[in-house]
Amino acid sequence: MTRQDIEKEVRNIFLREFEVENPEMEVNLREAYGFDSIDAIELLLEIEKFLGTELTQEEKKLAMDIRTMKQIIDYIEMLAKKRKTATEKN
Amino acid sequence: MTERRVVITACSAISPIGHGKEQIVESLLKGVSGVTTLREDDLISRFIHSRVYGTVSYPMTYDFARQHRKTMGPVAYYACQVAKEVLAQAELPSAFVTGGRLGVAFGSIHGSPTVQRDIYKIFFEAKDKASYQGIGAVDYLKSMVHTTAVNISKMFGITGRIIASGTACTTSSQSIGYGYEAVKYGLQDAMLCGGADEYDTITVAVFDNLLACSTAFNDEPGRTPRPFDRARDGLVVAEGAGAVMLEEYEFAKKRGATILAEVIGFACNSNGGDLILPNLDGITKTLQLGLENARINASDVDLISAHATATKMGDIIEAQAMGAVYGKDPFVAALKSYMGHTMAACGAIETVMMLYMMQEGFIAPTLNLEDIDERCAMIHHVPKLIEHPVKTAAIQNFAFGGVNTSLLIRKSI
Repeated sequence: MTRQDIEKEVRNIFLREFEVENPEMEVNLREAYGFDSIDAIELLLEIEKFLGTELTQEEKKLAMDIRTMKQIIDYIEMLAKKRKTATEKN
Repeated sequence: MTERRVVITACSAISPIGHGKEQIVESLLKGVSGVTTLREDDLISRFIHSRVYGTVSYPMTYDFARQHRKTMGPVAYYACQVAKEVLAQAELPSAFVTGGRLGVAFGSIHGSPTVQRDIYKIFFEAKDKASYQGIGAVDYLKSMVHTTAVNISKMFGITGRIIASGTACTTSSQSIGYGYEAVKYGLQDAMLCGGADEYDTITVAVFDNLLACSTAFNDEPGRTPRPFDRARDGLVVAEGAGAVMLEEYEFAKKRGATILAEVIGFACNSNGGDLILPNLDGITKTLQLGLENARINASDVDLISAHATATKMGDIIEAQAMGAVYGKDPFVAALKSYMGHTMAACGAIETVMMLYMMQEGFIAPTLNLEDIDERCAMIHHVPKLIEHPVKTAAIQNFAFGGVNTSLLIRKSI
């Protein structure tokens, strides 16, 4: 899974679930698009579907500081790498 | 405690006989019924004996942003739409709307049953964690009992107090009454008040199982409900929403607001006993307390909006109470004859309709009142449309749980 794949999927999620078309990478999502705590919870569910695995409570708590699209993509990239490493070790 | 005068400066309703003043007045004048055949829900509707429902069957278009829609079930759509219309009509300064001196008193009988059904479906059918996660983060916000009040406050940035009564059929009459008291005693300068309920077959099933629903006119929905008529056979459940803006009189006058009427009194009491059966003493006392609170005599009231659900006993008890308190002078309107029982919305919708009749100078006849039950004959029924000025009116509502309300309004200031 490349960073480009992740970005494409996050943009799809934003359009489908939050009616936000092509959100900018570095803007504060709450200020620019009214993205709030309820949306953040919905986004975590979408990320779980996308990765095909459940997120731990600790991983979910990490997401609470996310403010921008770039941070979302970083977050998913980190989760994907973590799972890939875990799979390779097994 | 200083008492301030409270006026109504805006009103709106979504009802089975129309949305807004023009449509509703036309239906009242033409005697149009909003009762239609019960929709199938693929769940319990096929077991229900009563096949009629007061339906909002015309298309509704909404213009709510996603950030608001995401916490709204169907009941909140109705509520926010009438709230939006009332706010637009009242033309309150935007700084006032968000400044903390405007509050919201709004309710529904049990939030959004549509959303609750979806939650229960998962509750009973979830086989794995993925299906459990189908219960969305917002489902509680859509289904909770105060969903209408807080979705309104969120959408319009209203920061005053929230009153979310959930007392079944007195929900929105309490909203107006408690909103009135909040302004009267200086706790708020204005209150946006009302109630809403969405299409819901569970409510029909409840009344159906209590043998309180109309079943004899399943093939002719427009012929039921029949308040005070000898052939009445029960209530018809309905959907809709109603809202009014209440403001402190001096504040409204100073800003040049259009004043539709003054709220002059409100009473609410409890029967203190049976939770279902209508109670003559309790209802009679409410009507008396309403008049006392308004500091008027029974003879001052020109028109009464009766609760008049068209149940066998309810109508008789209410007619007896009205006869004892008001005598035979004031006209009695039974507005549920047009649309059925809009549950939490009924007090507000009926208040809005009374305001329309006050403005237009007519009294809508009770639909389907063809043969007055002699046990209900001690009051002044209106079987035919009449043109008549209405100066002072009473709106009364009674609920399961033994809750009774009486609201008094006056046209002239």
